[in-house]
Amino acid sequence: MTKILLNGQTVEADPKKPLIAACHEHGASVPHYCYHPGLKAVGSCRICQVEVKQGEMPPRIVVACRTPVAEGMIVNTEAGKAHDARRECLEFLLKNHPLDCPICDKAGECDLQDYAFAENQGEGRTVEPRRKLEKRKSLGDVIVLDEERCILCSRCVRFMEEVPKTPQLAVVGLGSRSTIATFMDRPLKGNYQGNLADVCPVGALTLKKFRFQARVWNLRKSLSTCAECSRGCSITVEVLRGKDVKRFRPRYNDKVNKWWMCDRGRFALERHVDVATGTTAGARIAGALVRGQGAQGLEPVESELGVAIAADMLVAHEARTVIASPFLTQEEAEVLLRVARALGTTPVFVSPAGDGLADALLHTGDPCPNRRGLTELGFGAASAADCAARLAASQVALVVGERAGELLAAELAALGASQRVALFDARALDAVAVKLQVGVPTHVEKSGTWINVDGHAGRLTIARAAPAGTRALTHSLQQLDTLLAAAAAGSATTAPAGGAR
Amino acid sequence: MVIVKRRELSLAEKLYLPEIGRALSLSLRAMFRKRVTRQYPEEPLPTNEVTRGQPRLVVKDDGNIACVSCGMCEVACPAYAITIDGGETDRAIEREPVRFDIDMLRCILCGFCEEACPKDAIFMSNELELADFSRQALVYDIEKLKRPRSALQKRIDYVYRLNDRWRKPSSTR
Repeated sequence: MTKILLNGQTVEADPKKPLIAACHEHGASVPHYCYHPGLKAVGSCRICQVEVKQGEMPPRIVVACRTPVAEGMIVNTEAGKAHDARRECLEFLLKNHPLDCPICDKAGECDLQDYAFAENQGEGRTVEPRRKLEKRKSLGDVIVLDEERCILCSRCVRFMEEVPKTPQLAVVGLGSRSTIATFMDRPLKGNYQGNLADVCPVGALTLKKFRFQARVWNLRKSLSTCAECSRGCSITVEVLRGKDVKRFRPRYNDKVNKWWMCDRGRFALERHVDVATGTTAGARIAGALVRGQGAQGLEPVESELGVAIAADMLVAHEARTVIASPFLTQEEAEVLLRVARALGTTPVFVSPAGDGLADALLHTGDPCPNRRGLTELGFGAASAADCAARLAASQVALVVGERAGELLAAELAALGASQRVALFDARALDAVAVKLQVGVPTHVEKSGTWINVDGHAGRLTIARAAPAGTRALTHSLQQLDTLLAAAAAGSATTAPAGGAR
Repeated sequence: MVIVKRRELSLAEKLYLPEIGRALSLSLRAMFRKRVTRQYPEEPLPTNEVTRGQPRLVVKDDGNIACVSCGMCEVACPAYAITIDGGETDRAIEREPVRFDIDMLRCILCGFCEEACPKDAIFMSNELELADFSRQALVYDIEKLKRPRSALQKRIDYVYRLNDRWRKPSSTR
C-alpha cells in the first residue's frame, strides 16, 4: 500500500488502482464520466481533474483516472484550480448537449446533471445553435441511442470489448460529428447489452423496454437477488407507486456479479406486471382456492382455511409426495423439510432443463436460483419426467413454491380427477387434480435467502406487497406443520378456520 | 362581577316614531347605492389573469398538448394531486403523457405545477367551479384538462410578465 496525503489526511492507497479509486475509497468526491471501476481508464472526458503536488514541483492539475498513486503524493480534490478546470470541461460537454432533461430517461440519475449542479455550471456562453444528430437510433432490440446526448466517454465501447468480450461498438466520425455506432449499423448482439444503459453516464444509451416508463425518482428501490439463473446476481428491484416492477438493475457485488447482469435477468419483468387476483388460470391467488366437489371452477377461501384443508388431505391418504419449486428460499425450504419429514417423505425440487444461454461471464443457464441451497438442505433434484412419475405414483401431493405450477403445468394437467394435489403457488392453475391452491408471494414480495452456484448467499427483500390475503409461505408451512403434528398426536384432524395462526 | 350600565335613551328615542323614520331613510338610501352582492350561480364571479383557478393543460395550435410528461409538476405538487404516465410518440418531442390525472379534490390551487413546468404546458385557468356527484368524476384526465392556448393566453402572458421581473431574457422560451 502507498501512503498519500489526500485533502490533508494521510491515507493508504492501492498502487494497482488509479488515483481516482483512492479518492473515492476515502470519501473525496471526484466527478467522473469515462472512468468506471470495472473498465480500463482512458482519460477521455477530463472531468476528474484534481490538484497534485509531488516532490519539489509546484502543484499541477492532473486527471485522477490516469494518474497512478505514488508515495508522498499531496492530492487536493477541492482546489480552486481543479474546480475551474472541471467547470471548463463541463462547459464544453454541455455546449452541444441538448436540453432534453424533461424527456430523458436518465434525468434524476444522470452524472451530467449531478456534476453540473455540483460544480455550479448552469450557464452556457455560446449563442450558436447546437449540433443536430440522430435522436432515435435503434441499436438492436435492447438499446436505443440518442447521438445528440452522447458525450463520447467511450464507456460503452470499452464495456463491449472488456466485459462480454464481444467488441461491437466504436466511436466513428470526426470532431463534433463523432458518434457511437456499430459496423454498418448492424444491431447489437449478446446477452449483456442492457448494461450499456447502466454504464452510459448520460442518457445517450437507454433501454427500449424502459423507455418513458417512469421517472426514476418515482421508483422505490429495494435490494434483491436475480431469479433467472443460479448465479444469483445482486440486483435492485425498482417499483413504481408500490405496484409495478419497472426495472431490475445490477448492484455491485464483488464476489458474484461485479457491476453487471445479463439481459435475461434484467428483462424478466413480465411475470411481475399483472397482479390482478382472481380464480381464473394465470391470475394471482389472494388467500386460497378450493376446487368444488365434482363441479368445475375454483372457490376462493381464506389462506388459513386453505392450509387446514391441505392438512386434512395430506393426513387422509398414505401415498404422499412433496415437490418443491427451485425458487424456495432457505427459510421456506427448512420449514418444508419439517413438513416432509412429518409426512414421511423426502422432498425433491423441480429441476427444469437449462435455457442454453450459459456463458463464461455470468449466466449459468440453470434456471434454479437456489439449487445449491436446496441440495445442501437435502432436497433431491428431479426433472419434469421424474416429478410426473412421483405425482402419478402418489395419492396426494404437496407442490410448493413460486412458479411450481408453471414448471409442472403439463404434468399436473395430465393427472386424473382421482388424484389430489395441494399447490402452493403465486398464480392460479386450472387442473382437475389440483384440489387446492394456496397463494404465496413471489420473490419480489418476500424476504429470504438464496444460495448461488458458488455458495454465496443472496438476500431477497420485500419490494412490494403481495396481494391482500396472501400470507408468507413460511407462515403457511408453519401452520401446516403444526396441524400435521396435531393430527399425528391423535387430536382433531380438522382445525377451525383461522385456528392455528 | 361587572355591572353594565344601560345607556340613557334620548327624548327622540323615547318617542320612537322619529327613529322609525330614520331607519326607513337608511333603507331608502341603500336601495339606490351600488349593489355589492351578486346572484352567484347565474352571475359568475369576476376573474382576471391573476386568478389562480384550476390547472389546465395547454393545447398548442397544432392540436397537440405541450406536455412531455416530465413529471416536474408531479414532484412539485404539495398535495400529491397529479399522476402522470409517459409514453412514446412519433412527434419530434418523443415523449407525451398517456395518462395525466389531476385529482381536483386534492388540488389546492397553489400554482406550483405552473411554476415547475419547463414546457409551459400547464397553467392555472380562471375556472373555479367544482361540483359533481362522485369523487371519481373529479379526478380529471387529459381530455377534461385540455384547453386551447387562446383560452389561457391572458394567464400565460401574465406569468411571463411576472417571471421576467427576475429572469433574464432567454431565447429558449
